Amino acid sequence: MDKFLAVLRREYKKVVFKWAFVITTFLMPLIASLFVLVPMLIFSIEGDATRIAVADRNGLVETRVKQNLSPEKIAERAREAARESLKNVTATQSESIERSSKQIGGQFTFVDYDASGKSDEEIQNELKAMVAKKQIEAFLIVPDNISGKGVRFDFYSRKAGDFIVNSTIQDAINDAVRAQRLANANISEEKLKEINKGVSFSSIQLSETGESKGSDGGPVAAFVVAMLIYIVLAIYGQAIMSAIVEEKETRISEILFSSARPFELMMGKLVGVGLAGLTQLAIWISSLAAIVSVGAASAYMNEMQITIPEISILAVVYFFVFFILGYFIYATIYALIGSMVTSMQEGSQFAFPPIMLLLIGLYFCFAVVRDPNSTFAFWVSIAPFFAPIVMPVRILSELPPFWQIALAAVLNLITILGLTWAASRVYRVGMLMYGKRATIPEVWKWIRKV
Amino acid sequence: MNQKSANLRVNGVSKQFGSFTAVDNLSFEVSAGRIFGFLGPNGAGKTTTIRMIVGITIPDSGSVELFGDSVSPDIQDRIGYLPEERGLYKKMKIQDQLRYFAALKGIRQHEADKRIDYWLDRMNLSEWKKKKTTDLSKGMSQKLQFASTMLHDPDLIVLDEPFSGLDPVNVEFMKSVIAEVKSKEKTIIFSTHLMETAEKLCDDILLINKARKVISGSLREIKGSYGRNIASIRCTGGEEILEPGELVERVVEHADELEVFLRDGARGQELLERLVGAGALISKFEMVEASLNDIFIDAVNA
Repeated sequence: MDKFLAVLRREYKKVVFKWAFVITTFLMPLIASLFVLVPMLIFSIEGDATRIAVADRNGLVETRVKQNLSPEKIAERAREAARESLKNVTATQSESIERSSKQIGGQFTFVDYDASGKSDEEIQNELKAMVAKKQIEAFLIVPDNISGKGVRFDFYSRKAGDFIVNSTIQDAINDAVRAQRLANANISEEKLKEINKGVSFSSIQLSETGESKGSDGGPVAAFVVAMLIYIVLAIYGQAIMSAIVEEKETRISEILFSSARPFELMMGKLVGVGLAGLTQLAIWISSLAAIVSVGAASAYMNEMQITIPEISILAVVYFFVFFILGYFIYATIYALIGSMVTSMQEGSQFAFPPIMLLLIGLYFCFAVVRDPNSTFAFWVSIAPFFAPIVMPVRILSELPPFWQIALAAVLNLITILGLTWAASRVYRVGMLMYGKRATIPEVWKWIRKV
Repeated sequence: MNQKSANLRVNGVSKQFGSFTAVDNLSFEVSAGRIFGFLGPNGAGKTTTIRMIVGITIPDSGSVELFGDSVSPDIQDRIGYLPEERGLYKKMKIQDQLRYFAALKGIRQHEADKRIDYWLDRMNLSEWKKKKTTDLSKGMSQKLQFASTMLHDPDLIVLDEPFSGLDPVNVEFMKSVIAEVKSKEKTIIFSTHLMETAEKLCDDILLINKARKVISGSLREIKGSYGRNIASIRCTGGEEILEPGELVERVVEHADELEVFLRDGARGQELLERLVGAGALISKFEMVEASLNDIFIDAVNA
């Protein structure tokens, strides 16, 4: 037991008292908080308003465009977009850029310009002159006719590359033209307002017993958790493997084996590195909780309606239980691989299968979040190898009956026992084999041999 | 417990790897206070035998008895093993490294720190205490490795090629350290394929080849039994006399002298007379014992 503790202490210190560990542990939350705080900061910066002139000879849409670009309207759209981006975490890059530009919006002041009776060329020349005199930064030319196909609005701007302004204006024009077309079709202004009124959509999650609870934050939290588990398992699995390969490459294993039981050595290593992983995860989880509550608090101040994901203490306990199960499953696999190979390069080739298993588990999570009570969700959340990553996600999406959680834990515990048994046998023999990589049939023989 | 005299008994151990027999029914005994030379060419089964003694691998048949007991983790704490393939953690500070190895042998840190200071001082490595292994030269890491073998004051010390990578000055230094350890009634197994070193250091010899015992016994006995039928000669002329014939079996040329192996029953005196008769100018003529190297080659080729 003393020797086991000696190994454990060394492995723990080796990981934790390293700059890389300190940096990643404290940098990750910092980077994560930047993702939350920077958009908020940018949002709060009031940029210079864009001075804009609208040349609308027939007065078709000018008023509506101005209305749509009023600060109130823009703020409303920003709130809408913010809510949307929280609900839908699987958006593509371009979608999310578009959404954040909507959140940021833009500010506009209108400079009056009378276009009536002037030709296109006259309008362009006069407005360009105004731009040159720095009276305006941009102008919009409204075509004479806005019905029919191929209607084109020309927007001239000093800042044509400002995609935020562009997208805001485009949206404003679209809305205005649509409204005007409806008005032209003899639909009264009141009717129009009624038609245009958006519906608000709010998904309310029902628990097994039919109680409703806020849900908007749930999927986000579930995905964050899945990613965290995936990252930590992959990093620490690899760490185990490289530690084992180092001892094999430097032939330290020979000294170790003449001092302690191979099983003690292997378990000391697994538990030591595992505790280091838990330390990191605990720091991350608590800072994540801090960031989320700070983010939610400022969102509240900005009158955004974001629901803070409700995560119970029990869910946190389950999370750690499944993280530990997952850690032992994958760390043992990596330990087994480490004792088979002769160098780190060889090891990274063999590291692919466990990474695949982890990735498949991660992908299962998408399906599980969509329908946490399906038969599929049940099976993948109790299955060995996948449960450690899928079950916490399922628990966060909707708490399954306790027997399912217990079943998942027991099944994976049995898997761990089997894997540890096999790995300790491979470790005992493989660590003393130098020069050549063990083949799968050889490894199989070591495992079966008494 | 450390005062108890150490004793190792190897009873007919065998070890197979697949169809390859690494060690075949090997038996020997090692008593305390002696340096036991475990000799053999590369691949003879030395390392496999040593691994069975220190409890890294288990023999297929036969048994190893240490201090009157079979090898167990408790017994392992009384063994100091310096493997042929040296192993130190590259990025670990030397002090931490030694503390770790001591802890694995069941030494508490307070006691370990005292011994670490003693051994680092003994090895002239004190100033490297806080440095990493990567900063050490090959010879220094070799000495560090020896210190780590001795930290827990083992009763049985197994040294597998302890001088490889050391310069002559350090070899002499290490020999004096080993002699000092021996004087404390410890059992030392010294494995090497370098006969000259073994010859100068060992009290007892076990020579194995192709998994089997070839010669064993005390160095004196073995050398005595091989007799003195070798002449070490330095001379000019008389080449035809030294051709293998009725008197001379073979001649081994060294840098500045000849080692002449005489046929059984031939006398050195006669060779000398013939050389003088042939007009050779002799600056050295000495009847010598067979070197361990000669015995070794003889036995391996037999």
